[in-house]
Amino acid sequence: MSLFLSSLFILCLGAFLLVLLTRSRAMSGLIFLGTLIPGCLLGAAAALGVLIHRAPIDHRLNLRMPAGEFYLGVDPLSAFFLLTITILFLSAGVYGYGYLKSDKERNLSVHYALYHAALISLMLVVTAKNAVLFLVAWELMALSSYFLIMFHDEKKAVREAGYLYLIVTHTGTFCLWVMFLLMARQSGSMDFDQMALASFPLPLAGALFILGIIGFGVKAGFIPLHIWLPHAHPAAPSHISAVLSGVMIKMGVYGLMRTILIIKDFPEWCAVTLLLIGMISGVGGVLYALGQHEIKKLLAYHSVENIGIITLGLGTGLWGQICHNEFAALIGYAGAFLHVFNHAVFKGLLFLSAGSLIRSTRTGEIDRLGGLLKRLPWTGHLFLIGALAICGLPLFNGFVSEWLVYRALFEGMFHFELNGIALSSLAVISLALIGGLAAACFAKAFGAIFLGNSRSIDITHVTENSVLMCVPMAVLGGICVWIGLFPAVMVSFALGAAATMTSSPISSATEGVIIAPLLTAVLVLSILIGTIAILTLLKRTAMKFLPVEKAQTWGCGYAMPTSRMQYTAASFAQPLLQIFRNVLDYRVKGNRPKEYFPEEGEVSSRVTDAAEDFFFRPAFGFIKSLSAKLKVIQCGYTQWYLLYILIFLLMLLVWKMV
Amino acid sequence: MGIRILLHIMVVVILSPLLLGITGKTKAFLVGRWGPPLLQPYYDIGKLFRKGNVYSTTTTWIFQAAPVVSMAAVLVSAIFVPFGSLKAPLPFFGDIILFAYLYGLARFFMIIAALDTGSSFEGMGASREAAFSCLAEVVLFLDFIILALLSKSLVLSEMVEGNILSSWQLFGPAILLAGVSYFLVLLAENARIPVDDPATHLELTMVHEVMVLDHSGWDLAYILYGSAIKLFVLGALFVNILVPFHGLPPVMQTIVFWAGMIVLAVGLGIVESCMARLRLNQVPQLLIGAFVFALVGLLVVLIKGV
Repeated sequence: MSLFLSSLFILCLGAFLLVLLTRSRAMSGLIFLGTLIPGCLLGAAAALGVLIHRAPIDHRLNLRMPAGEFYLGVDPLSAFFLLTITILFLSAGVYGYGYLKSDKERNLSVHYALYHAALISLMLVVTAKNAVLFLVAWELMALSSYFLIMFHDEKKAVREAGYLYLIVTHTGTFCLWVMFLLMARQSGSMDFDQMALASFPLPLAGALFILGIIGFGVKAGFIPLHIWLPHAHPAAPSHISAVLSGVMIKMGVYGLMRTILIIKDFPEWCAVTLLLIGMISGVGGVLYALGQHEIKKLLAYHSVENIGIITLGLGTGLWGQICHNEFAALIGYAGAFLHVFNHAVFKGLLFLSAGSLIRSTRTGEIDRLGGLLKRLPWTGHLFLIGALAICGLPLFNGFVSEWLVYRALFEGMFHFELNGIALSSLAVISLALIGGLAAACFAKAFGAIFLGNSRSIDITHVTENSVLMCVPMAVLGGICVWIGLFPAVMVSFALGAAATMTSSPISSATEGVIIAPLLTAVLVLSILIGTIAILTLLKRTAMKFLPVEKAQTWGCGYAMPTSRMQYTAASFAQPLLQIFRNVLDYRVKGNRPKEYFPEEGEVSSRVTDAAEDFFFRPAFGFIKSLSAKLKVIQCGYTQWYLLYILIFLLMLLVWKMV
Repeated sequence: MGIRILLHIMVVVILSPLLLGITGKTKAFLVGRWGPPLLQPYYDIGKLFRKGNVYSTTTTWIFQAAPVVSMAAVLVSAIFVPFGSLKAPLPFFGDIILFAYLYGLARFFMIIAALDTGSSFEGMGASREAAFSCLAEVVLFLDFIILALLSKSLVLSEMVEGNILSSWQLFGPAILLAGVSYFLVLLAENARIPVDDPATHLELTMVHEVMVLDHSGWDLAYILYGSAIKLFVLGALFVNILVPFHGLPPVMQTIVFWAGMIVLAVGLGIVESCMARLRLNQVPQLLIGAFVFALVGLLVVLIKGV
């Protein structure tokens, strides 16, 4: 049996056993880890095999269904996502075991089984070769993740977030059904391979593209379809947030990529739409994040931002394909792919460290925390690595993928027509703005949580969590640094997957042209590390001969400084939010101190989500009032319902006769 | 190549404080004073190298590492910029992105080092720095776009020396606009008047200076050295853009480049002498003004066609 199928088999077996053996806690934990680790490792090995050989592998089980044959296939596109899924699920799973071990009240084996189910469904989503199988897996993914989010279902906010997620995700699935049915009608089959052989006229391709954008965009979290993310991610336990944000939302990206691969020929406005979505989601996501004062909500909005960056790569790739500039297409797609992986790693790391932080301090409110780097050294330093990576700063993996996206956009600028040049320029500017804002946002989050002094909670008893939670974070942090310093392997994998998208093999010369500058960049970075080492050494040596004193922080002569006088995250973000107040709904309220002997004062600021408050809430309200009016026909008498059936049958008869 | 890199870095290390000295002398001269000697910035840094350190008990290793990281990052950024006949030793396609992000790395560490002290003054400075640098970075990239479109290259040294002379002839207004907006970025990034006043001592209104209130000794020396280097490197780029000397023989290139650097330092002094610093809430407007200049430049390029 192949690696991939055995991985699936082990995970299914694990899920099955976990459901059967719900009694013993120790046993269920053991089964969970015992099946998760080999399952994920085998899955990752299968993905690596495909990525190295760049040859797709099909797994046919002879499951003939009315809607074509159900079979799985791993091509480099699937393999890249499969690798991402297995790595993140493995680390988050081990972390989750450590995280939940102390939770004595809940039945964990159900949670573990659902975790396996989510993993299996994701693996099926990226490997399904049939639209019906894909949608079934898609639905399994939505349901299992819904139950995973609802872990703390005794809290009202969690239940609301779960329902919102369920509604939103099914709205998306509806669009996907329509899209796949239209595609099947055009091609005469539900098999992806058969669909890819058909040719789609441009208007139909455009319509399918719109359906795909809505259906997959809901999952990916494009603005304004992102409203479920900032609710669902904070509601879920942290290891679930990590997989939700790290890989679940990427399934939207995968779906779009698969759609592009099947339809191939798109009108130009589709690429324009993707670039615009990328810019709006990117800049909007990070601006919203800047206005958040709860760590997991902040991270959730950063997922929207990173989906924006991925979409910029995707848009350039599609544009390159449309105007037959394969080189630009290749780099654009490769950038998108690598950022998918990188974001999974660093966002997983950030969510896990946020979870560890919340577990230790019992709060995620940034403005209550402070000074935790000394109390939580592992969590703090790993959060710093994640923060540096997500800002795209050199030495870490985020830089490599953002560099590829920049490179693709510049490539577009050099070779596209005028509107392409203009849009690519705009996208470069947005990417620069995203970079700057993200750095500000994570300087704020890291600085306020881990540096300075604690603002309002007592942290003297805060201690680091178990090794089981630290090791997975350290592994993810290690991957961030590894890709940042040795990017060649992952970039070459991303290029292989990108070559699948452009449907033409990539020559080693082309690959060299793309990777060589990155290797020079690494050389420069090693010079940077060397310079840092030399400067540190000089300073260290000199310090041996010079006096070093300890003192209080300079408070400008004020005699009684307290830790509550520190700058808060809210005040840190204020200048930027003030600059962007015209595009954000940024409100500052409270009673400021007045007169010479002021009473107690308070000021609070918040940024509300415009898409949620000004579009979806009214829209949902409208639907609700409409359905309230329709309630009259639902009277509760069986006779009436029989009458409805009769009327319906009559209508059908009449329709058939006419 | 190793020697060329070393040479490049040595030039920056040795000459960068001189630029500040010239600016200081000019400012003094314009207000009718003798002013400090030309080498004063060297004396200042040298004095700090002989001093011990005072560390706040609140701080962590980040406070001590940030000056090192930020100085190293700006120092390394210098190897992408040609200095007259000294060509950039390690150019690669796409180095402008690394160039810009090295400054991002330096800035990120300085900001978190400021937050590390737990002082609200330094928090204020950090917050302002984060806000202004976001806008400055966007303008910088817009200028890069203009240069990249004109030179069809993503290598910083090619962008500023390749065919910039013919670009001047064809797209003079665009490069001029890019130059003006780049100059404003240069002022903002280096904490010069009118964005920030390096001589001010009122914590409430400062940006860069207030971020380093708690640093002392070697750390402060690294920070001052780092900002001198930053001014030198960004200034060298400015001279490269504005003065198309790259067709000249090497000796002339060297003379013209260094003359350009001196003129830039004097020009900075003149700007600082005739302007007051802006109010904090007007700084974004200045940067948005720079953005508009660069955007108009880009439009000129797009309309005239590339």
